[in-house]
Amino acid sequence: MMKIQELTKQYDGKTVVDGVTFTIPKGKVISLIGPNGAGKSTVMGMISRLIAHDSGLVHFEGKDIGKWKSKELSKRLAILTQSNNIQMKLTVRELVTFGRFPYSGNRITSEDESIINQAIAYMELEEFQDRFIDELSGGQRQRALIAMVIAQDTEYVLLDEPTNNLDIYHATNMMKTVRRLCDELGKTVILVLHEINYAAFYSDYICAFKDGKIAKFGTVEEVITKENLSEIYQVDFEILTIAGKPLSIYY
Amino acid sequence: MNTLAIRANRRKLLILLALVLLCAIGYMLLDVNFSNPKLLAYAMKIRTPKLIVMLITAFAIGGASIVFQSIINNTIVTPCLLGMNSLYTLIHTAVVFFLGSASVVAINANLSFAVDVVLMGIVATVIYSWIFKKTKHNVLYVLLVGTVLTSFFGSIQTTLTRVMDPNEYDSLLNTLVASFNNINSEIILFSLVLLIGIVVVLRKELALLDVLTLGKHQAINLGVDYDRCIRRLLLGVTLCIAVATAMVGPISFLGLIIANLSRQFFKTFRHSQLVVGSALFGMIVLVGGQLIVEHIYTYSVPISVFITVGGGLYFLYLLLTRKKV
Amino acid sequence: MKPQQLLTGDLHLWEIFLVSRLPRLLAILCTGVGMSVAGLIMQQLCSNKFVSPTTGATISSAQFGILLALLFMPASTLWSRAIFAFITAILGTWIFVWFIQRIQFKDMVMVPLVGIMFGNVIGGVTNYLAYKYEMTQALSSWLVGHFSLVLKGRYEIVWLTIPLVILAFVFANHFNIVGLGKDFSKNLGVPYNLVLFAGLTIAAMITASVVVVVGSISYIGLIVPNVVAMYKGDKIKGTLVDTALFGAIFVLICDMIGRIVILPYELPIELIVGILGSLIFIALLFYRLKYGRKSIRLGSTGTNSCATMPNLKGGEQI
Repeated sequence: MMKIQELTKQYDGKTVVDGVTFTIPKGKVISLIGPNGAGKSTVMGMISRLIAHDSGLVHFEGKDIGKWKSKELSKRLAILTQSNNIQMKLTVRELVTFGRFPYSGNRITSEDESIINQAIAYMELEEFQDRFIDELSGGQRQRALIAMVIAQDTEYVLLDEPTNNLDIYHATNMMKTVRRLCDELGKTVILVLHEINYAAFYSDYICAFKDGKIAKFGTVEEVITKENLSEIYQVDFEILTIAGKPLSIYY
Repeated sequence: MNTLAIRANRRKLLILLALVLLCAIGYMLLDVNFSNPKLLAYAMKIRTPKLIVMLITAFAIGGASIVFQSIINNTIVTPCLLGMNSLYTLIHTAVVFFLGSASVVAINANLSFAVDVVLMGIVATVIYSWIFKKTKHNVLYVLLVGTVLTSFFGSIQTTLTRVMDPNEYDSLLNTLVASFNNINSEIILFSLVLLIGIVVVLRKELALLDVLTLGKHQAINLGVDYDRCIRRLLLGVTLCIAVATAMVGPISFLGLIIANLSRQFFKTFRHSQLVVGSALFGMIVLVGGQLIVEHIYTYSVPISVFITVGGGLYFLYLLLTRKKV
Repeated sequence: MKPQQLLTGDLHLWEIFLVSRLPRLLAILCTGVGMSVAGLIMQQLCSNKFVSPTTGATISSAQFGILLALLFMPASTLWSRAIFAFITAILGTWIFVWFIQRIQFKDMVMVPLVGIMFGNVIGGVTNYLAYKYEMTQALSSWLVGHFSLVLKGRYEIVWLTIPLVILAFVFANHFNIVGLGKDFSKNLGVPYNLVLFAGLTIAAMITASVVVVVGSISYIGLIVPNVVAMYKGDKIKGTLVDTALFGAIFVLICDMIGRIVILPYELPIELIVGILGSLIFIALLFYRLKYGRKSIRLGSTGTNSCATMPNLKGGEQI
């Protein structure tokens, strides 16, 4: 259970996140959407302890996120940010192996090995597992990072713009993977997304931000309405229902 | 997992070790008069401590450089940017300037070593812990402050030398050039104890090095207390360099050379291999270099000059071959 | 010496005034103006607020040139030394900038760090040669900037800074455009490489002429433009005059401090500037870390290869 109360963050005297309060339902996919500078990435950073919050509470599984031991937290919650420029010569398998670090440190047990194998198989990376990360395409690299998160075996998975820099094919596959992480592995997935339609089609809940505040939080059907979106993004929207999901067109 | 590469790297380590041994044996035995036991004993007595000093220096600088590059996440930097060299130069110049070259501090090697270590230790602790916090844990700004301090120490030091008595200056000049001569066993022992102490205190952080190279966010995600870890490692690196500098004098660029040689040779992210490799390369460079200096140049050029010039060229080569630093 | 005494026509005093005091004042002004403008030009061209003659290998190259002159022409005049210093300073700066243009920097702080290491390489060679030919102490006269040897007849080279600064003023806009990147300047029809290297040449020549006469003075080129940019913004034409004046005042004050502290002796200007400069620089750094881009704008958004966007939020940026 993750409860966020009155979360606030300031940069250089400017309030970027202002009194954000919401509760993240367990075992669901939750997308954070909103225009540029609405504070969604900062909220993501604060609920994953990458950024310190100025005031407010992030209540995670019984205690404040700052009170958790970093090591213990890393067994419960995984975060993947956009800034993954790994410098070292690292193979896919070695990267995935790092996912077991919170459990076994540098000594990998045979149990770890089997978890790593499963993670690689789950992301269909067997044929790439001995390739170096910097030789992969963007989509493959993203899959390798997800495999690492799977190996990390956490209940919560936080992804900051996982579809960024991916073409339509890879982005859609990434979103399908996100859905599988939730449906098949029972994880709670929280993502920051730019594409509203991906958010609408693949998530259970949507949290829309505007000017550092939550503009709307609820199920997809509650949030994705013509009025809400026009209000948040300041452009005209039309909503169509396709495959039972409210998809939006903007112009 | 990737056992082939690991086995290949083990073989490479063995090759390096063999080269180190070869250099060491060559250094100990070249041009020794075996027929005269007295001369042999004398040569051994002179050469053994020098060899040990070189091995310790290589270990300290080599290890520290790899760790430093990994925490900065950049392989083009060297810990000589932290300003320990110029602090050492300033301390020695100030001692000669204010107390004279005949003073106890200047003459007594143990005392001067102690002064160096204590002063550098204090500066390192204050600057690289305090400023690290002050700069919101941004290592690059710490580094920038380090270079500012380098020129700060430098401007005081050059001012002192300019108004110094030329005779005093000549005697000073010898201590400002790195040298492996005349280092007594007490200093060697003390340095060794200090270095081992640093490694023992930091053993937990050293085990985290592989994860740190994934970058700050990944390291935190995997449960590393990032800022604390970086702060302690940075302090450890500075202290290692301080001990090595206090022992032999300023050697810039050695760290850059051997750390990058090790990275290019092993092509791995595993720091256990990188650190050992860097130390071994350091030993080869120092012992081999000293061998050349003593037997080919007959002491006319100090080894630190070779290292600076060679290291400078290597630095330019690294810059040329790299697209991103 | 009092002004009334000069007015009464004391010839001896007039002589002191003309031979020593006036040249010293002019040298101070030229140094202050020259070094800060040189720093401003370099920062603008590389669009990196940390580049300066000190952190861009210009000063160490000039010193190397002077050492070469001392070695090869022991009887060299000030002018021949100056020519050596000009050549090496220009070459050193060019090579440095050529290097940093080729590389993409992850963080703009890496640029001055590479520059300092580059300077260390040149300094290492200089030191080795000086050590070998036993010139270390003689050379240290050029390592420490001081005005005590500025007399009539042996400081006039420093006047060269004036036409160079005027030249910089004329081409200020070009430097601005070049600082915004190669594609940007091509689009506006400005020959990128020509302006870039011409600008660097001007900065290097200013630096070299100061180093030959008064010795090296670090930090002015780094600090003065940054302080001025704090309240004036980044445009070179608007800030050039302020930078020049502020530089002159800064050096003048430092010189006065140096002469007052241990009367009747004087401390070399390099020491005062070194101490004050380090403190100001660290203060600037902390100020910037605390208040971010609002006050001091570091680096521009150009696509120039020697600039990357600054990591303003320090370690906390996602």
